Amino acid sequence: MTALLTAEGVTVNFGGLVAVNAVTLSVPAGAIHGVIGPNGAGKTTFFNAIAGLVAVAPGRIAFDGTDITGLPPYQRARLGIRRTFQAVQLIPQFTVLENVLVGLHHDIKENYLTSLFGWSGRSAAEEEAQERTLEVLRFLGLTDALFKRPRELSFAEQRFVEIARALVARPKLLLLDEPAAGLSPQEVAAINALLRRLRTEWGTTIVLVEHVLSLVLDVSDRVSVLDNGKLIAEGAPREVEADPRVRAVYIGEDHA
Amino acid sequence: MTRDLIHRWFAPVAIAILLLVPLTTNSYIQFIINQVIVYVIIAIGLNLLLGYAGQFAFAHAAMMGIGAYTAALLMHRLGVTFWIAVPAGGFAAAAIGSLGALPAMRMKRVYLALMTLAIAELIQWVLVHWKVVTLGTDGVKIPHEKFLWFTLASDYHKFYLILAAMAVLYVVARRLVESKFGRSLVAIRENEIVAQCNGISIAHTKAAVFAVSAFYAGIGGALFALVLGHIVPDGFGLFQLVVHFSIVVIGGLISMFGSVIGAVLLTTLPELLRGVRALQELIYGVLLMVFIIFMPGGIAGFAKQRGWLPDEILVRGWRALQARLKREGGS
Repeated sequence: MTALLTAEGVTVNFGGLVAVNAVTLSVPAGAIHGVIGPNGAGKTTFFNAIAGLVAVAPGRIAFDGTDITGLPPYQRARLGIRRTFQAVQLIPQFTVLENVLVGLHHDIKENYLTSLFGWSGRSAAEEEAQERTLEVLRFLGLTDALFKRPRELSFAEQRFVEIARALVARPKLLLLDEPAAGLSPQEVAAINALLRRLRTEWGTTIVLVEHVLSLVLDVSDRVSVLDNGKLIAEGAPREVEADPRVRAVYIGEDHA
Repeated sequence: MTRDLIHRWFAPVAIAILLLVPLTTNSYIQFIINQVIVYVIIAIGLNLLLGYAGQFAFAHAAMMGIGAYTAALLMHRLGVTFWIAVPAGGFAAAAIGSLGALPAMRMKRVYLALMTLAIAELIQWVLVHWKVVTLGTDGVKIPHEKFLWFTLASDYHKFYLILAAMAVLYVVARRLVESKFGRSLVAIRENEIVAQCNGISIAHTKAAVFAVSAFYAGIGGALFALVLGHIVPDGFGLFQLVVHFSIVVIGGLISMFGSVIGAVLLTTLPELLRGVRALQELIYGVLLMVFIIFMPGGIAGFAKQRGWLPDEILVRGWRALQARLKREGGS
């Protein structure tokens, strides 16, 4: 299989503090790749590097055959990299419909001449985007929330809305930053089922940063382990779980 | 149900009433009403920038001045017809206004406010001192152009021209905020990181909203020049800016209704206190403070809370979508 995402020696420096240190990994198309490690291991910073929110120096990130190391975040998003955030980031004034439509910003090919000055006041591009939003919300079982605002939703629902926003443009690569954090076991099971459906039905490639080990080890094809910004192990979930270096890092950590 | 009826009939009824207005006014009241309509246009422009996009820019009065002077000078010096001079005022303001996006790329809030205020002061200085072109503090007189039966000498005739411009610009602004552009403005205001990670270019969006906002100010300024018949640089200074901010904040930020309500209230109210200019300025200042402290959502925000005004969802045709889903869910 060809790699959809390749990180080569990715290093992120915050004024002398090396948050991510020469991390190399390769994610084949259609795979679910887990990234684990204790708090402060650099997992989220590594995500930000892929999304383009922090500068990589040195290092190289390639996506779908092109070098994206120097691209700004919005261009990476347009190429098909979408993400969620560790703390859910919805726009509070927006309804679920509007929040998810933000994810389609670049896909809506608005013809402003007809949509602003046309007599009917209709916009085909906007209507199509609304259908796509409904479709992804049906997929996630969220249609009833369409006209609700985030504050009217449960925490888990808010997280699913954020996932909907990331999914609505059918990204090639979905980056999920701790999707299970703060969820009940049943809700984690729902996330688990969703990831499997995405892989089989949509063929979405997923990179999953997670502190909750049970989910990552269960659902991932391969797992990378970060500690102090360094990649200390990589392999199939079973190998990684058995790896003494990984166990050493997790001593005193919650295994739940 | 009643709300749907109100929503469906509000616009046609309002237009019918507005078209009949000149039958009931004298020339003075007509002059005031013309100003109100001009301020609706200007307020819509500022609301896009300050309300929807959350950009603390203070050059709106100067943009209005650019529009007014471009149109007035084209007409006065070159004899250009107002059909061309007014849009030219809008485009000139948009061109200069989009430059305001440059500092907005790097600066936020107070710094952007100071920077744009400095640009505004510079523009006013140019209007005063570049006498060869702008005629300085003498100001510019608008010729009384005639077009078929239409004449710029009549407040009644001007009313229909300005009303038509306002109607078109209102509808366009509504449609604009109910599109991906409007949503991207709010997304940038609320969370630039989320906006970028969803494919929104901050730079392009800011440049666009600065340009559109200035276009509204410019058209408003050009029509303002037609309404007054004579403009001077002093008309586009700090007091003008305070008026703009009062209209938008008291009417209600992030609300198209708010811009209309604010313009109507704050243009007519001071007329009742005419003759005491110091009192006018005081009223604006005090009202602005009271609203910022006690009612930051403005009148429109308060009315929305009470359910008197509908929520504004930035999605074209969302009511139809909601109705359709209700039918499908019911069957």
